[in-house]
Amino acid sequence: MGEIVRYKYDVWGEEVILGVSWDLLWVIAVAVLILLAAHAIIMAALANKKMDKPSGEGRRVVRHEIIDRLFHWVMAASILMLILTGIAPIVGLRIAWLNLHWISGLLLTFVVIFHIIRSLFWQDFKSILLGPRDFGEPFNSAKKPGKYSFEQKGMHWAVTVVVLAVIVTGLLMFLQIDSPFWDRTNSMAESQLGLIFLLHGLSTLALVALASTHIYFALRPEKLFYTRSMISGWISEDEMTANHDTNRWAPKEAD
Amino acid sequence: MVATSHDVMPDIELYQPTDEANALALANTLGTDGWLLGGGQDTYGWLKDRNKTPAAMIELTQVDAWKGIKETADGVEIGAVTTITEIATNPLIQSKFALLSTAAGRVASPQIRNVGTLGGNLNQDARCWYYRRGLDCYRAGGNICYADSPEGLNREHALFGASRCVAVSPSDTAPALVALDATMVVSSVSGQRLIAAADFFVGPARDITSMTVLNEGEILTAVRIPNTWANAEFYFEKVADRNVWDFALVNVAAAFKVSGGAITDARIVCGAVECTPRRLDAVEDAIRGQQRSAELAEQVAAIASDGARPLNYNHFKVPLMENLVKRAIRG
Repeated sequence: MGEIVRYKYDVWGEEVILGVSWDLLWVIAVAVLILLAAHAIIMAALANKKMDKPSGEGRRVVRHEIIDRLFHWVMAASILMLILTGIAPIVGLRIAWLNLHWISGLLLTFVVIFHIIRSLFWQDFKSILLGPRDFGEPFNSAKKPGKYSFEQKGMHWAVTVVVLAVIVTGLLMFLQIDSPFWDRTNSMAESQLGLIFLLHGLSTLALVALASTHIYFALRPEKLFYTRSMISGWISEDEMTANHDTNRWAPKEAD
Repeated sequence: MVATSHDVMPDIELYQPTDEANALALANTLGTDGWLLGGGQDTYGWLKDRNKTPAAMIELTQVDAWKGIKETADGVEIGAVTTITEIATNPLIQSKFALLSTAAGRVASPQIRNVGTLGGNLNQDARCWYYRRGLDCYRAGGNICYADSPEGLNREHALFGASRCVAVSPSDTAPALVALDATMVVSSVSGQRLIAAADFFVGPARDITSMTVLNEGEILTAVRIPNTWANAEFYFEKVADRNVWDFALVNVAAAFKVSGGAITDARIVCGAVECTPRRLDAVEDAIRGQQRSAELAEQVAAIASDGARPLNYNHFKVPLMENLVKRAIRG
């Protein structure tokens, strides 16, 4: 316990990086659990002081198009599969995990490329950008966000960085195994390989923390309408006006 | 750490339990710190080279309950610490399951067979020389396979089922036991579980650091062979670089039930071509119901190597495997 990086000796007897220490997985798990439990307790204590919950009835506005919802759930499924199959051998589960892992990784790569292209050319890309105004939002209840809150934007960009790191390092690792598309060459220098394993491991740990946090907030009672909107596509007008600045986000009415 | 050769054993605790309960309790208490010792023929090299450094050894050969060969209502039970020589020369095995006695008689050398045990032969670790040299390869918990690299020497390695690691199952008795539909008796302090021989061995896709399904604290205590294949027509052949004291380049263990010259059922299993004994179901299906003959052998031999992915230096194993299967079928 206590190390972050694991080292090994390469074929020449030189010490090189082997990868991340998987002890950190338990550190991350415990830390996330404590933080989320603390958040839940604080929120429960403050619950009485909260204003009335906005109604989900009445007129509805579109929050997510069907194609974006599909993207979200495919991405979620592939990330969960990547985490489960990646962690299985670490915790000693004997399953044939590798094929499931790289297939999920390829699926994630394709949907992320799709999302990048769609967000740049077909969506309102500016709505997800973090600006100076966003940083004041958590401290001023009068300031309401546009389509996405400060926390949602923060989560989005954290996930973006981590997922891109996982994808890039994962693709480089994919080249090191036999696949239906090629026979591995196994010719990368061990020091470079170790660095890739380390970055993949670190980004995996970050992804575990982010995914857990995301799922927790998706299940929080006051956020459930966002989760519903990721399934059904809509939020009510009441929910919109209670949580968003309609001058900064003017969605169309849902059918 | 790359191996440093020593002439002597490291300082290590030695436990010599004489009864089953004590041995299982020790295996449970010591966990991965307790190295299970049969005849020691796989063990001593690891320990002398300091490539495995357990804190203690649990010698299993003093436990009488795990020794010997006995006839049961449904076949034969062999204690896991029975020596390979006893199995090769036992009249009961020779008369009913000559496949196993022949395979046992081809293990290593007479000296090794005299001390080596069935459990040790089945549980022995991979013989990839990069792994044995102490390099931090996938099987040793690392992130690379040295054997399957541009300069890697992989003449002895796998044709099938490689998943990062390309090491093969080195055992001669394992293919015979899979062909005979044997059952492994695995004991621990929490009880006993019975595992089909075919399921006892695991490939790198499922577990890259272990060759069997044994969990921490578990011991292979016996092997049961049912009468299903007793007195069938058997064939075992092992091809190695040397006739004695060598591991198979490919071996084949086959059992046939023949009636009126026609094969009514068959088991054909190859060793040293995959990380686990490789049962050739497609070949078995192709010969079932056919007359056992040289022509049939010629027709189906190529099926044996379907799906093979040879490495740089082991292409020769493909025709070798096909020829062994051919010889097994024609008898």
